[in-house]
Amino acid sequence: MNIYLRELKARRKSIIFWSIGLFLMDAASMNKFAGFEKSGQATQVFAAFPKGLARAFGLGNVDINTALGWFAMAFMYLLVLVAIHASLLGAGILAEEEQDKTAEFLYAKPISRAKVVTEKLLAALTLIIILNIVTLLSSISMVAAFNKGVSPTQEILLMMAGMFVVQIIFMVIGSAAAAIVRKPKYAGAAASAIMFATFFLSLWLDITEKLPWLKYFTPFKYFDAKIIANHAKFDYAFIVISIGVIIAMLTMTYVSYNARDLKI
Amino acid sequence: MNVIETKKLTKYYGKSRGIIEVDINVEDGEIYGFIGPNGAGKSTTIRVLLSLIYATSGTATIFGKDVVKFGPEIKKEIGYLPGEVFYYDTMRVKDLLNYSASFYKKDCSKRIKELAGIMSLELDKRIDDLSYGNKKKVGIVLGLLHEPKLIILDEPTGGLDPLMQQTFFNLVREENKKGATVFLSSHILSEVQRLCDKVAIIKEGKIVKIEKMSDLAQSNYSKIKVESKAAIPEGYFDMAGVSGLKTENHSTTFMFKGDINSVTKKIAALDLVSLFVEEPDLEDIFLHYYQ
Repeated sequence: MNIYLRELKARRKSIIFWSIGLFLMDAASMNKFAGFEKSGQATQVFAAFPKGLARAFGLGNVDINTALGWFAMAFMYLLVLVAIHASLLGAGILAEEEQDKTAEFLYAKPISRAKVVTEKLLAALTLIIILNIVTLLSSISMVAAFNKGVSPTQEILLMMAGMFVVQIIFMVIGSAAAAIVRKPKYAGAAASAIMFATFFLSLWLDITEKLPWLKYFTPFKYFDAKIIANHAKFDYAFIVISIGVIIAMLTMTYVSYNARDLKI
Repeated sequence: MNVIETKKLTKYYGKSRGIIEVDINVEDGEIYGFIGPNGAGKSTTIRVLLSLIYATSGTATIFGKDVVKFGPEIKKEIGYLPGEVFYYDTMRVKDLLNYSASFYKKDCSKRIKELAGIMSLELDKRIDDLSYGNKKKVGIVLGLLHEPKLIILDEPTGGLDPLMQQTFFNLVREENKKGATVFLSSHILSEVQRLCDKVAIIKEGKIVKIEKMSDLAQSNYSKIKVESKAAIPEGYFDMAGVSGLKTENHSTTFMFKGDINSVTKKIAALDLVSLFVEEPDLEDIFLHYYQ
Protein backbone atom coordinates (compact mmCIF):
# COMPACT_ATOMS: atom_id res chain seq x y z
CA MET A 1 0.00 0.00 0.00
CA ASN A 2 3.04 2.28 -0.07
CA ILE A 3 2.26 3.70 -3.53
CA TYR A 4 -1.37 4.27 -2.55
CA LEU A 5 -0.37 6.20 0.54
CA ARG A 6 2.26 8.27 -1.27
CA GLU A 7 -0.26 9.25 -3.92
CA LEU A 8 -2.81 10.37 -1.34
CA LYS A 9 -0.19 12.36 0.50
CA ALA A 10 1.08 14.01 -2.68
CA ARG A 11 -2.45 14.97 -3.69
CA ARG A 12 -3.92 16.17 -0.42
CA LYS A 13 -3.55 19.87 -1.28
CA SER A 14 -5.19 19.43 -4.63
CA ILE A 15 -8.17 17.57 -3.18
CA ILE A 16 -8.67 20.29 -0.58
CA PHE A 17 -8.80 22.93 -3.32
CA TRP A 18 -11.20 20.89 -5.40
CA SER A 19 -13.43 20.32 -2.37
CA ILE A 20 -13.54 24.03 -1.61
CA GLY A 21 -14.26 24.74 -5.27
CA LEU A 22 -17.15 22.28 -5.41
CA PHE A 23 -18.59 23.62 -2.17
CA LEU A 24 -18.44 27.21 -3.43
CA MET A 25 -20.00 26.25 -6.72
CA ASP A 26 -22.79 24.50 -4.86
CA ALA A 27 -23.33 27.43 -2.51
CA ALA A 28 -23.23 29.99 -5.30
CA SER A 29 -25.80 28.24 -7.46
CA MET A 30 -28.22 27.73 -4.61
CA ASN A 31 -27.69 31.34 -3.59
CA LYS A 32 -28.82 32.39 -7.06
CA PHE A 33 -31.94 30.34 -6.51
CA ALA A 34 -32.62 32.29 -3.35
CA GLY A 35 -32.41 35.50 -5.35
CA PHE A 36 -34.87 34.30 -7.97
CA GLU A 37 -37.14 32.77 -5.40
CA LYS A 38 -37.47 36.08 -3.56
CA SER A 39 -38.63 37.84 -6.68
CA GLY A 40 -40.53 34.74 -7.78
CA GLN A 41 -39.30 35.29 -11.29
CA ALA A 42 -37.15 32.30 -12.08
CA THR A 43 -39.59 30.81 -14.51
CA GLN A 44 -40.34 34.11 -16.17
CA VAL A 45 -36.69 35.00 -16.68
CA PHE A 46 -35.93 31.71 -18.33
CA ALA A 47 -39.21 31.61 -20.19
CA ALA A 48 -37.91 34.58 -22.14
CA PHE A 49 -35.01 32.45 -23.37
CA PRO A 50 -35.28 30.79 -26.75
CA LYS A 51 -36.14 27.16 -26.23
CA GLY A 52 -32.83 25.78 -27.46
CA LEU A 53 -30.84 28.14 -25.28
CA ALA A 54 -32.92 27.32 -22.24
CA ARG A 55 -32.19 23.65 -22.77
CA ALA A 56 -28.50 24.42 -23.13
CA PHE A 57 -28.67 25.88 -19.62
CA GLY A 58 -29.98 22.59 -18.39
CA LEU A 59 -33.58 23.69 -18.19
CA GLY A 60 -35.70 20.86 -19.33
CA ASN A 61 -38.73 19.28 -17.91
CA VAL A 62 -38.00 20.39 -14.43
CA ASP A 63 -39.60 22.94 -12.15
CA ILE A 64 -36.92 25.47 -11.31
CA ASN A 65 -39.15 27.19 -8.82
CA THR A 66 -38.41 24.42 -6.34
CA ALA A 67 -35.03 24.11 -4.68
CA LEU A 68 -34.65 20.56 -5.93
CA GLY A 69 -35.56 21.51 -9.50
CA TRP A 70 -33.10 24.34 -9.43
CA PHE A 71 -30.46 22.05 -8.00
CA ALA A 72 -31.12 19.51 -10.76
CA MET A 73 -30.30 22.24 -13.26
CA ALA A 74 -27.18 23.32 -11.38
CA PHE A 75 -26.14 19.68 -11.01
CA MET A 76 -24.96 19.67 -14.62
CA TYR A 77 -22.24 22.19 -13.77
CA LEU A 78 -21.14 20.26 -10.72
CA LEU A 79 -20.98 17.19 -12.92
CA VAL A 80 -18.71 18.95 -15.42
CA LEU A 81 -16.37 20.00 -12.62
CA VAL A 82 -16.04 16.55 -11.10
CA ALA A 83 -15.65 15.06 -14.58
CA ILE A 84 -12.70 17.39 -15.27
CA HIS A 85 -11.24 16.41 -11.92
CA ALA A 86 -11.68 12.68 -12.58
CA SER A 87 -10.25 12.85 -16.13
CA LEU A 88 -7.15 14.76 -15.08
CA LEU A 89 -6.68 12.61 -12.01
CA GLY A 90 -7.02 9.30 -13.87
CA ALA A 91 -4.62 10.43 -16.58
CA GLY A 92 -2.20 12.24 -14.29
CA ILE A 93 -1.81 9.60 -11.64
CA LEU A 94 -0.42 7.17 -14.23
CA ALA A 95 1.33 9.60 -16.57
CA GLU A 96 3.10 11.63 -13.91
CA GLU A 97 5.76 9.05 -13.17
CA GLU A 98 6.89 9.22 -16.77
CA GLN A 99 6.35 12.95 -17.12
CA ASP A 100 8.36 13.75 -13.99
CA LYS A 101 10.88 11.06 -14.94
CA THR A 102 10.39 9.19 -11.69
CA ALA A 103 9.34 6.09 -13.65
CA GLU A 104 12.93 4.87 -13.67
CA PHE A 105 12.99 5.06 -9.88
CA LEU A 106 9.64 3.36 -9.38
CA TYR A 107 9.85 0.56 -11.91
CA ALA A 108 13.33 -0.53 -10.83
CA LYS A 109 11.60 -1.58 -7.60
CA PRO A 110 10.36 -5.15 -7.13
CA ILE A 111 6.80 -4.41 -8.17
CA SER A 112 4.77 -5.29 -11.24
CA ARG A 113 3.21 -2.62 -13.41
CA ALA A 114 -0.21 -4.10 -12.72
CA LYS A 115 0.30 -3.66 -8.99
CA VAL A 116 1.36 -0.04 -9.53
CA VAL A 117 -1.74 0.62 -11.64
CA THR A 118 -3.97 -1.00 -9.02
CA GLU A 119 -2.60 1.04 -6.15
CA LYS A 120 -2.74 4.26 -8.16
CA LEU A 121 -6.30 3.68 -9.29
CA LEU A 122 -7.32 2.89 -5.73
CA ALA A 123 -5.77 6.18 -4.63
CA ALA A 124 -7.65 8.00 -7.40
CA LEU A 125 -10.86 6.24 -6.42
CA THR A 126 -10.38 7.34 -2.82
CA LEU A 127 -9.97 10.96 -3.90
CA ILE A 128 -13.03 10.70 -6.10
CA ILE A 129 -15.07 9.36 -3.20
CA ILE A 130 -13.87 12.22 -1.01
CA LEU A 131 -14.91 14.77 -3.62
CA ASN A 132 -18.25 13.03 -4.06
CA ILE A 133 -18.97 13.03 -0.35
CA VAL A 134 -18.02 16.70 -0.06
CA THR A 135 -20.40 17.51 -2.91
CA LEU A 136 -23.11 15.34 -1.40
CA LEU A 137 -22.90 16.98 2.01
CA SER A 138 -22.73 20.50 0.66
CA SER A 139 -25.61 19.79 -1.74
CA ILE A 140 -27.86 18.37 0.96
CA SER A 141 -27.12 21.23 3.32
CA MET A 142 -27.41 23.91 0.63
CA VAL A 143 -30.67 22.63 -0.78
CA ALA A 144 -32.03 22.27 2.75
CA ALA A 145 -30.97 25.82 3.55
CA PHE A 146 -33.04 27.15 0.66
CA ASN A 147 -35.87 24.70 0.98
CA LYS A 148 -37.15 25.79 4.38
CA GLY A 149 -34.91 23.30 6.15
CA VAL A 150 -36.24 20.26 4.32
CA SER A 151 -33.88 18.46 2.01
CA PRO A 152 -35.03 15.97 -0.61
CA THR A 153 -32.20 13.70 0.51
CA GLN A 154 -33.22 10.67 -1.49
CA GLU A 155 -33.11 12.47 -4.85
CA ILE A 156 -29.80 14.11 -4.03
CA LEU A 157 -28.35 10.77 -2.94
CA LEU A 158 -29.40 9.29 -6.25
CA MET A 159 -27.86 12.17 -8.19
CA MET A 160 -24.61 11.78 -6.28
CA ALA A 161 -24.61 8.04 -6.90
CA GLY A 162 -24.96 8.87 -10.59
CA MET A 163 -22.22 11.44 -10.29
CA PHE A 164 -19.99 8.82 -8.69
CA VAL A 165 -20.44 6.47 -11.64
CA VAL A 166 -19.67 9.32 -14.07
CA GLN A 167 -16.56 10.16 -12.05
CA ILE A 168 -15.34 6.57 -12.27
CA ILE A 169 -16.01 6.47 -16.01
CA PHE A 170 -13.90 9.58 -16.61
CA MET A 171 -11.20 8.40 -14.25
CA VAL A 172 -10.74 5.15 -16.18
CA ILE A 173 -10.96 6.97 -19.53
CA GLY A 174 -8.09 9.09 -18.17
CA SER A 175 -6.04 6.11 -17.05
CA ALA A 176 -6.63 4.34 -20.37
CA ALA A 177 -5.45 7.48 -22.17
CA ALA A 178 -2.30 7.55 -20.05
CA ALA A 179 -1.68 3.88 -20.77
CA ILE A 180 -2.13 4.27 -24.51
CA VAL A 181 -0.68 7.62 -25.62
CA ARG A 182 2.92 7.63 -26.72
CA LYS A 183 3.81 10.85 -24.94
CA PRO A 184 2.69 10.99 -21.31
CA LYS A 185 2.32 14.78 -21.38
CA TYR A 186 -0.61 14.40 -23.79
CA ALA A 187 -2.50 11.99 -21.52
CA GLY A 188 -4.32 14.71 -19.58
CA ALA A 189 -5.11 16.61 -22.77
CA ALA A 190 -6.47 13.50 -24.47
CA ALA A 191 -8.65 12.65 -21.46
CA SER A 192 -10.01 16.20 -21.18
CA ALA A 193 -10.67 16.29 -24.91
CA ILE A 194 -12.85 13.19 -24.60
CA MET A 195 -14.55 14.68 -21.56
CA PHE A 196 -15.42 17.94 -23.31
CA ALA A 197 -16.44 16.19 -26.51
CA THR A 198 -18.95 14.05 -24.63
CA PHE A 199 -20.14 17.08 -22.66
CA PHE A 200 -20.82 19.09 -25.80
CA LEU A 201 -22.49 16.09 -27.33
CA SER A 202 -24.88 15.98 -24.39
CA LEU A 203 -25.53 19.73 -24.74
CA TRP A 204 -26.17 19.31 -28.43
CA LEU A 205 -28.58 16.47 -27.72
CA ASP A 206 -30.43 18.70 -25.22
CA ILE A 207 -30.68 21.57 -27.67
CA THR A 208 -31.59 19.77 -30.85
CA GLU A 209 -33.40 16.72 -29.46
CA LYS A 210 -32.22 14.92 -32.58
CA LEU A 211 -30.54 11.52 -32.89
CA PRO A 212 -31.55 10.40 -29.38
CA TRP A 213 -29.58 7.15 -29.65
CA LEU A 214 -26.38 9.22 -29.40
CA LYS A 215 -27.09 9.56 -25.68
CA TYR A 216 -25.41 6.20 -25.20
CA PHE A 217 -22.13 7.82 -26.18
CA THR A 218 -22.02 10.50 -23.51
CA PRO A 219 -21.78 9.69 -19.81
CA PHE A 220 -23.35 13.09 -19.12
CA LYS A 221 -26.63 11.60 -20.27
CA TYR A 222 -26.41 8.43 -18.23
CA PHE A 223 -27.76 9.84 -15.00
CA ASP A 224 -30.02 12.70 -15.94
CA ALA A 225 -30.65 14.84 -12.88
CA LYS A 226 -33.92 16.12 -14.28
CA ILE A 227 -35.34 12.62 -14.50
CA ILE A 228 -34.05 11.82 -11.03
CA ALA A 229 -35.63 15.02 -9.66
CA ASN A 230 -38.99 14.14 -11.15
CA HIS A 231 -39.06 10.39 -10.67
CA ALA A 232 -36.44 9.61 -8.01
CA LYS A 233 -34.95 6.77 -10.04
CA PHE A 234 -32.24 5.89 -12.58
CA ASP A 235 -32.53 4.43 -15.99
CA TYR A 236 -30.96 1.07 -15.21
CA ALA A 237 -29.86 0.44 -18.78
CA PHE A 238 -27.24 3.12 -18.23
CA ILE A 239 -25.85 1.34 -15.20
CA VAL A 240 -25.22 -1.70 -17.36
CA ILE A 241 -23.59 0.47 -20.03
CA SER A 242 -21.48 2.24 -17.41
CA ILE A 243 -20.20 -1.03 -16.00
CA GLY A 244 -19.34 -2.13 -19.55
CA VAL A 245 -17.44 1.09 -20.27
CA ILE A 246 -15.56 0.91 -16.97
CA ILE A 247 -14.52 -2.71 -17.53
CA ALA A 248 -13.40 -1.95 -21.09
CA MET A 249 -11.34 1.07 -20.01
CA LEU A 250 -9.77 -0.80 -17.11
CA THR A 251 -8.80 -3.64 -19.40
CA MET A 252 -7.24 -1.18 -21.83
CA THR A 253 -5.37 0.50 -18.98
CA TYR A 254 -3.86 -2.70 -17.62
CA VAL A 255 -3.09 -4.35 -20.95
CA SER A 256 -1.62 -1.33 -22.74
CA TYR A 257 0.35 -0.09 -19.77
CA ASN A 258 1.90 -3.49 -19.23
CA ALA A 259 2.73 -4.04 -22.88
CA ARG A 260 4.44 -0.82 -23.80
CA ASP A 261 7.87 0.62 -23.22
CA LEU A 262 8.01 3.18 -20.46
CA LYS A 263 8.92 6.65 -21.63
CA ILE A 264 12.08 7.54 -19.79
CA MET B 1 26.64 -18.94 -12.48
CA ASN B 2 26.01 -16.01 -14.75
CA VAL B 3 24.28 -13.20 -12.93
CA ILE B 4 23.45 -11.42 -16.17
CA GLU B 5 23.20 -13.25 -19.44
CA THR B 6 21.93 -11.83 -22.72
CA LYS B 7 21.60 -13.67 -26.00
CA LYS B 8 21.30 -11.73 -29.23
CA LEU B 9 19.52 -9.02 -27.28
CA THR B 10 18.11 -6.52 -29.75
CA LYS B 11 16.08 -3.39 -29.26
CA TYR B 12 14.75 -1.07 -31.91
CA TYR B 13 12.77 2.07 -31.11
CA GLY B 14 10.46 1.97 -34.09
CA LYS B 15 13.02 2.04 -36.87
CA SER B 16 15.85 3.63 -34.95
CA ARG B 17 18.56 1.42 -33.54
CA GLY B 18 18.93 0.80 -29.84
CA ILE B 19 21.09 -2.29 -29.51
CA ILE B 20 21.77 -5.13 -31.93
CA GLU B 21 22.44 -8.73 -30.92
CA VAL B 22 24.17 -7.95 -27.67
CA ASP B 23 25.69 -11.00 -25.97
CA ILE B 24 27.10 -10.48 -22.51
CA ASN B 25 27.73 -12.76 -19.57
CA VAL B 26 28.37 -11.25 -16.20
CA GLU B 27 29.60 -13.77 -13.70
CA ASP B 28 28.86 -13.86 -10.01
CA GLY B 29 31.11 -11.54 -8.04
CA GLU B 30 32.50 -9.65 -11.02
CA ILE B 31 32.77 -5.94 -11.50
CA TYR B 32 31.82 -5.72 -15.13
CA GLY B 33 32.45 -2.58 -17.15
CA PHE B 34 30.33 -1.55 -20.07
CA ILE B 35 31.89 1.23 -22.06
CA GLY B 36 31.06 3.15 -25.16
CA PRO B 37 30.31 6.70 -26.22
CA ASN B 38 26.98 8.38 -25.60
CA GLY B 39 24.24 6.89 -27.72
CA ALA B 40 26.01 3.56 -28.17
CA GLY B 41 23.22 1.66 -26.39
CA LYS B 42 24.45 1.34 -22.80
CA SER B 43 21.33 2.75 -21.16
CA THR B 44 19.11 0.86 -23.60
CA THR B 45 20.73 -2.41 -22.52
CA ILE B 46 20.24 -1.59 -18.86
CA ARG B 47 16.63 -0.55 -19.32
CA VAL B 48 15.88 -3.81 -21.11
CA LEU B 49 17.51 -5.70 -18.24
CA LEU B 50 15.22 -3.87 -15.83
CA SER B 51 12.21 -4.43 -18.14
CA LEU B 52 11.51 -0.71 -18.21
CA ILE B 53 11.44 -1.28 -21.95
CA TYR B 54 11.04 -4.55 -23.81
CA ALA B 55 13.49 -6.20 -26.18
CA THR B 56 12.55 -6.48 -29.85
CA SER B 57 14.23 -9.88 -29.99
CA GLY B 58 16.72 -12.00 -28.10
CA THR B 59 16.66 -12.95 -24.44
CA ALA B 60 17.99 -11.58 -21.20
CA THR B 61 18.18 -13.33 -17.87
CA ILE B 62 19.27 -12.17 -14.44
CA PHE B 63 20.04 -14.78 -11.75
CA GLY B 64 19.03 -17.27 -14.45
CA LYS B 65 15.49 -15.89 -14.71
CA ASP B 66 13.85 -14.12 -17.61
CA VAL B 67 13.89 -10.38 -16.99
CA VAL B 68 10.33 -9.77 -18.15
CA LYS B 69 8.58 -12.79 -16.72
CA PHE B 70 10.26 -12.60 -13.34
CA GLY B 71 10.87 -8.85 -13.31
CA PRO B 72 9.47 -8.02 -9.87
CA GLU B 73 11.12 -11.04 -8.27
CA ILE B 74 14.54 -10.34 -9.79
CA LYS B 75 14.42 -6.69 -8.82
CA LYS B 76 14.31 -7.57 -5.13
CA GLU B 77 18.03 -8.19 -5.43
CA ILE B 78 18.95 -5.39 -7.82
CA GLY B 79 20.18 -1.98 -6.86
CA TYR B 80 20.01 0.53 -9.69
CA LEU B 81 21.55 3.95 -10.07
CA PRO B 82 20.27 5.63 -13.24
CA GLY B 83 22.39 7.96 -15.33
CA GLU B 84 20.14 10.90 -14.64
CA VAL B 85 18.39 11.02 -11.31
CA PHE B 86 14.87 12.35 -10.88
CA TYR B 87 12.83 12.01 -7.72
CA TYR B 88 9.56 13.31 -6.28
CA ASP B 89 10.36 16.98 -5.83
CA THR B 90 8.20 17.65 -2.83
CA MET B 91 9.42 14.72 -0.76
CA ARG B 92 12.07 15.00 1.90
CA VAL B 93 15.22 12.93 1.48
CA LYS B 94 14.46 10.67 4.44
CA ASP B 95 10.88 10.13 3.28
CA LEU B 96 12.12 9.17 -0.17
CA LEU B 97 14.64 6.74 1.31
CA ASN B 98 11.97 5.18 3.51
CA TYR B 99 9.55 5.02 0.58
CA SER B 100 12.17 3.23 -1.47
CA ALA B 101 12.93 0.86 1.40
CA SER B 102 9.23 0.05 1.77
CA PHE B 103 9.36 -1.86 -1.52
CA TYR B 104 11.80 -4.39 -0.09
CA LYS B 105 10.53 -6.68 2.55
CA LYS B 106 13.32 -6.08 4.99
CA ASP B 107 14.46 -3.54 7.53
CA CYS B 108 16.81 -1.12 5.81
CA SER B 109 16.91 1.59 8.46
CA LYS B 110 20.35 0.74 9.75
CA ARG B 111 21.86 0.61 6.29
CA ILE B 112 20.18 3.91 5.36
CA LYS B 113 21.81 5.60 8.35
CA GLU B 114 25.20 4.14 7.49
CA LEU B 115 25.06 5.10 3.83
CA ALA B 116 23.68 8.57 4.51
CA GLY B 117 26.62 9.08 6.84
CA ILE B 118 29.17 7.90 4.30
CA MET B 119 27.69 10.04 1.53
CA SER B 120 27.08 12.94 3.97
CA LEU B 121 23.44 13.39 2.98
CA GLU B 122 21.17 15.95 4.54
CA LEU B 123 18.12 13.87 5.34
CA ASP B 124 15.69 16.66 6.15
CA LYS B 125 16.08 18.58 2.91
CA ARG B 126 13.44 18.53 0.24
CA ILE B 127 14.43 16.90 -3.05
CA ASP B 128 13.87 20.08 -5.06
CA ASP B 129 16.27 21.95 -2.77
CA LEU B 130 19.13 19.60 -3.61
CA SER B 131 21.88 20.27 -6.14
CA TYR B 132 22.32 17.73 -8.92
CA GLY B 133 25.36 16.24 -7.20
CA ASN B 134 23.40 15.81 -3.98
CA LYS B 135 20.52 14.17 -5.85
CA LYS B 136 23.07 11.78 -7.28
CA LYS B 137 24.20 10.99 -3.76
CA VAL B 138 20.60 10.24 -2.84
CA GLY B 139 20.54 7.95 -5.89
CA ILE B 140 23.58 6.08 -4.65
CA VAL B 141 22.02 5.50 -1.24
CA LEU B 142 18.76 4.41 -2.93
CA GLY B 143 20.70 1.95 -5.04
CA LEU B 144 22.46 0.34 -2.11
CA LEU B 145 20.12 0.57 0.86
CA HIS B 146 18.61 -2.89 0.46
CA GLU B 147 21.99 -4.60 0.12
CA PRO B 148 21.37 -5.93 -3.38
CA LYS B 149 23.19 -8.88 -4.90
CA LEU B 150 23.46 -7.11 -8.24
CA ILE B 151 24.32 -3.44 -8.49
CA ILE B 152 23.65 -1.76 -11.85
CA LEU B 153 25.28 1.62 -12.29
CA ASP B 154 24.61 3.75 -15.35
CA GLU B 155 27.19 6.52 -15.71
CA PRO B 156 27.45 6.75 -11.94
CA THR B 157 29.95 9.53 -11.41
CA GLY B 158 28.41 12.37 -13.42
CA GLY B 159 27.78 15.27 -11.07
CA LEU B 160 29.95 13.90 -8.26
CA ASP B 161 33.09 15.76 -7.21
CA PRO B 162 36.34 13.76 -7.28
CA LEU B 163 36.32 13.22 -3.54
CA MET B 164 32.79 11.83 -3.61
CA GLN B 165 33.70 9.69 -6.60
CA GLN B 166 36.44 8.13 -4.53
CA THR B 167 34.07 7.52 -1.63
CA PHE B 168 31.57 6.03 -4.02
CA PHE B 169 34.09 3.72 -5.66
CA ASN B 170 35.25 2.51 -2.26
CA LEU B 171 31.64 1.80 -1.40
CA VAL B 172 31.16 -0.19 -4.58
CA ARG B 173 34.35 -2.16 -3.98
CA GLU B 174 33.20 -2.94 -0.45
CA GLU B 175 29.85 -4.20 -1.67
CA ASN B 176 31.69 -6.27 -4.24
CA LYS B 177 33.89 -7.78 -1.55
CA LYS B 178 30.77 -8.69 0.39
CA GLY B 179 29.65 -10.64 -2.66
CA ALA B 180 27.69 -8.22 -4.84
CA THR B 181 28.09 -8.35 -8.58
CA VAL B 182 28.49 -4.96 -10.22
CA PHE B 183 27.54 -3.91 -13.73
CA LEU B 184 28.86 -0.46 -14.50
CA SER B 185 28.27 1.48 -17.66
CA SER B 186 30.38 4.49 -18.47
CA HIS B 187 31.90 6.55 -21.18
CA ILE B 188 34.65 7.62 -18.82
CA LEU B 189 37.34 5.03 -19.25
CA SER B 190 39.45 5.81 -16.25
CA GLU B 191 36.62 4.91 -13.89
CA VAL B 192 36.10 1.60 -15.62
CA GLN B 193 39.82 1.02 -15.52
CA ARG B 194 39.94 1.73 -11.80
CA LEU B 195 37.13 -0.56 -10.89
CA CYS B 196 36.40 -3.34 -13.34
CA ASP B 197 37.59 -6.91 -13.82
CA LYS B 198 36.11 -7.32 -17.25
CA VAL B 199 34.94 -4.91 -19.86
CA ALA B 200 32.59 -4.99 -22.83
CA ILE B 201 32.99 -2.30 -25.43
CA ILE B 202 29.84 -1.23 -27.22
CA LYS B 203 29.73 0.83 -30.37
CA GLU B 204 26.67 1.83 -32.35
CA GLY B 205 24.55 -0.75 -30.58
CA LYS B 206 26.91 -3.67 -31.10
CA ILE B 207 29.43 -5.25 -28.77
CA VAL B 208 32.81 -4.72 -30.35
CA LYS B 209 34.94 -6.58 -27.87
CA ILE B 210 34.83 -8.21 -24.48
CA GLU B 211 38.07 -8.58 -22.59
CA LYS B 212 39.50 -9.03 -19.17
CA MET B 213 40.75 -5.72 -17.94
CA SER B 214 44.19 -7.19 -17.33
CA ASP B 215 44.39 -8.50 -20.91
CA LEU B 216 43.25 -5.22 -22.29
CA ALA B 217 45.77 -3.23 -20.30
CA GLN B 218 48.58 -5.65 -21.07
CA SER B 219 48.05 -5.78 -24.77
CA ASN B 220 51.54 -5.23 -26.09
CA TYR B 221 50.88 -1.84 -27.50
CA SER B 222 53.19 0.98 -26.60
CA LYS B 223 52.25 4.58 -26.83
CA ILE B 224 55.17 6.58 -28.14
CA LYS B 225 55.55 10.32 -28.18
CA VAL B 226 58.56 11.86 -29.87
CA GLU B 227 59.54 15.51 -29.89
CA SER B 228 62.43 16.47 -32.11
CA LYS B 229 64.43 19.65 -32.82
CA ALA B 230 63.86 19.56 -36.57
CA ALA B 231 60.60 18.63 -38.23
CA ILE B 232 60.21 14.90 -38.70
CA PRO B 233 59.98 14.13 -42.41
CA GLU B 234 56.60 12.89 -43.55
CA GLY B 235 56.45 9.13 -43.76
CA TYR B 236 59.43 8.71 -41.44
CA PHE B 237 57.52 6.29 -39.25
CA ASP B 238 55.92 4.40 -42.12
CA MET B 239 56.67 0.93 -40.87
CA ALA B 240 54.99 -2.26 -39.71
CA GLY B 241 53.32 -2.01 -36.28
CA VAL B 242 52.73 1.73 -36.26
CA SER B 243 49.17 2.99 -36.00
CA GLY B 244 47.29 6.12 -35.08
CA LEU B 245 50.14 8.35 -36.16
CA LYS B 246 49.66 12.04 -35.40
CA THR B 247 52.15 14.78 -36.10
CA GLU B 248 51.86 18.27 -34.75
CA ASN B 249 54.71 20.69 -35.39
CA HIS B 250 57.78 18.83 -34.17
CA SER B 251 56.00 16.31 -32.04
CA THR B 252 54.68 12.96 -33.16
CA THR B 253 52.58 10.40 -31.31
CA PHE B 254 51.65 6.91 -32.37
CA MET B 255 50.81 3.45 -31.09
CA PHE B 256 53.28 0.72 -31.71
CA LYS B 257 52.93 -3.04 -31.65
CA GLY B 258 55.78 -5.39 -32.56
CA ASP B 259 59.56 -5.51 -32.06
CA ILE B 260 60.33 -2.40 -30.05
CA ASN B 261 63.95 -2.40 -31.30
CA SER B 262 62.91 -1.62 -34.83
CA VAL B 263 61.29 1.59 -33.71
CA THR B 264 63.92 2.66 -31.18
CA LYS B 265 66.53 2.48 -33.92
CA LYS B 266 64.50 4.84 -36.01
CA ILE B 267 64.00 7.18 -33.08
CA ALA B 268 67.70 7.10 -32.22
CA ALA B 269 68.48 8.59 -35.60
CA LEU B 270 66.49 11.72 -34.72
CA ASP B 271 67.76 14.72 -32.79
CA LEU B 272 65.37 14.55 -29.87
CA VAL B 273 63.97 17.07 -27.42
CA SER B 274 61.97 14.47 -25.51
CA LEU B 275 60.73 10.91 -25.74
CA PHE B 276 57.89 9.14 -23.95
CA VAL B 277 57.17 5.44 -24.17
CA GLU B 278 54.06 4.57 -22.17
CA GLU B 279 51.75 1.69 -21.61
CA PRO B 280 48.57 2.78 -23.34
CA ASP B 281 45.66 3.57 -21.07
CA LEU B 282 42.19 2.37 -21.85
CA GLU B 283 41.46 5.65 -23.57
CA ASP B 284 44.02 4.87 -26.26
CA ILE B 285 42.93 1.29 -26.65
CA PHE B 286 39.37 2.50 -26.79
CA LEU B 287 40.15 4.97 -29.53
CA HIS B 288 41.89 2.18 -31.32
CA TYR B 289 38.67 0.13 -31.43
CA TYR B 290 36.71 3.10 -32.55
CA GLN B 291 38.78 3.93 -35.58
